[in-house]
Amino acid sequence: MRDYLVKRGASALATLALAIVLNFFLFRIMPGDPTRTVVGDFRVAPEVRKVLVHQFGLDQPLWTQFLLYIQNLLVGNLGVSFQYRGTPVASIIFGRRIFNTFILMGSSIAVALVIGIIIGTIAAWKRESKFDVFTVIFSLVTYSMPVFWLGMMIILVFGYYLGSIPIAGTITVGMTYSNPLEYVADYLHHMTGPFVTLTLSFIGYYFLIMRDSILDVFTEDYMLTAKAKGLSNRKILFRHAMRNATLPMVSLVAVEVTYLFGGATMTETVFSWYGIGRLTYEAVVMADFPVLQGIFVVMAVVVIAANFLADIAYALLDPRIRY
Amino acid sequence: MQIREERFWVYRRKLGDFWRLYRRSTLGKLGLVIVSFFVIVALAAPWIAPFGPFSFVGDPFLRPSSTYVFGTDQVGRDIFSRVIYGTRISLLVGLLASAMTIGLGTVIGLVSGYLGGWVDNALMRITDLFIIIPALPLMLIMASILGKGIMNIIIVITVVGWTATARMVRSQTLSLKERPFTEASRAIGSTDLHTIGRHIVPNVFPLVFANGMIAIVDAILSEAGLSFLGFGDPSSPSWGMVLHFADMAGSTVNGYWWYIVPPGICIMLLVMGFAFISYSTDQILNPRLRRR
Repeated sequence: MRDYLVKRGASALATLALAIVLNFFLFRIMPGDPTRTVVGDFRVAPEVRKVLVHQFGLDQPLWTQFLLYIQNLLVGNLGVSFQYRGTPVASIIFGRRIFNTFILMGSSIAVALVIGIIIGTIAAWKRESKFDVFTVIFSLVTYSMPVFWLGMMIILVFGYYLGSIPIAGTITVGMTYSNPLEYVADYLHHMTGPFVTLTLSFIGYYFLIMRDSILDVFTEDYMLTAKAKGLSNRKILFRHAMRNATLPMVSLVAVEVTYLFGGATMTETVFSWYGIGRLTYEAVVMADFPVLQGIFVVMAVVVIAANFLADIAYALLDPRIRY
Repeated sequence: MQIREERFWVYRRKLGDFWRLYRRSTLGKLGLVIVSFFVIVALAAPWIAPFGPFSFVGDPFLRPSSTYVFGTDQVGRDIFSRVIYGTRISLLVGLLASAMTIGLGTVIGLVSGYLGGWVDNALMRITDLFIIIPALPLMLIMASILGKGIMNIIIVITVVGWTATARMVRSQTLSLKERPFTEASRAIGSTDLHTIGRHIVPNVFPLVFANGMIAIVDAILSEAGLSFLGFGDPSSPSWGMVLHFADMAGSTVNGYWWYIVPPGICIMLLVMGFAFISYSTDQILNPRLRRR
């Protein structure tokens, strides 16, 4: 077990190192100068420009700059933002924003997983029935919908026509709360729209994969044994089939975290949810490259960590894995 | 000369077999119908659309009527015509981007699988890296540096999407490498390039084709997403771009449903069409699935 952990851990660290290298050079080898908005601004006097260039080490060769970057990264210094005029990037990312994004992402992936797994199991059991056909078509439809369009439709129907959900933001601006519970209620009320959008967009995929996986499990011998033993249908389905079919989903969820960041970016932008996804969009529009670089590193760390945890979980859950 | 003629008939027979199997699936036929519908709309755009995609034809924000089937947008252009012309862009970007994606993925997969050794290791590390990096943020970052434009979107989609094909082609190449015909080909002295091109590629092709359909789906959705966020070509009426302008005009909060619903439904239908085709093709070409 320990060897497996060490091997997986080393692999994760190697990928992280590669990601950091890519992050650094991505902004510097692309055509166009990322620093033009600050240093290249023609209103800046030449003497000031020289001082700035020297201060940020831009007059050094690229490799020295890379070492300086690694040094700063290890201390936790992610640079200063362009659009927020000197605010450290780390404080922008690791404030309210990352908290909001994790709550939104975490809850929607959890709910989508649970519903997808259960409905997928039932649909596979009732194969070719009306329930099965309906859920498969529903999944294909939500899978084909662009995430941002689904968000817009939800705002239109529930926000504009029905008025039941707020159309933007995490909390109502300027409102005072008499107790923390009211605050949480308002927060959750604002989260309904993006939460439903994100969950719906992922449920289809999980459902289809689970259904496929269970159909595969049905062809295994132990299913026949369970039936021959006289177990009730429910026991066979949920105790034996579902448990084994859920295994591939574990490794899938780790990969899905990457898509979660993308889906979250769209959803947060449409609903103006104060999170990392919207920060990415804003930073891109304002050409705030230090923030983008910082977000990139944070996302890479989260995804690599998630994959590593999934590897461990998979090894723990499946006794057949030889390590 | 005769060998070439034989080969042609073998391929033609395989195509016929494939088509026969394909015809049996309702989903596949439905997908083909949907996609053909959009292709026809795209080709016949100048004749079907009542107005040009850029002409100002009426007051802004008119509701749907018999003149303006989908109403007008914020500067008075007919949305119906824009959606029709948008079919061209969405199809073009989808096909071009996916072609480049699977092209790049196939090349990398072939090289990695066939050469093995440190080349394989290095390429697989890089592939893992690109799989792990979140797609949309990377696309946004690249688009922010490269700037707007259709070609940039295609490049960005390709750079983000080649990994799936690469992995698949690599595993297929690895197994094909052990087959007797590869050994025979090398024994008679063929160069590596010849072995790859003449023996391995035709056997990899069916899987690549099935994968290509999924790549089209991803490309269309990615283009729509990037355009919606503002990185498409502002002068092109692609569906994502129309939705971008719809959002800019505050359609969601003002109830201009005719601006939002049609482009989104078109994206959804086109994607579903390709998804159905991809599902049916996968059923036929992926031998692992046929057992069930």
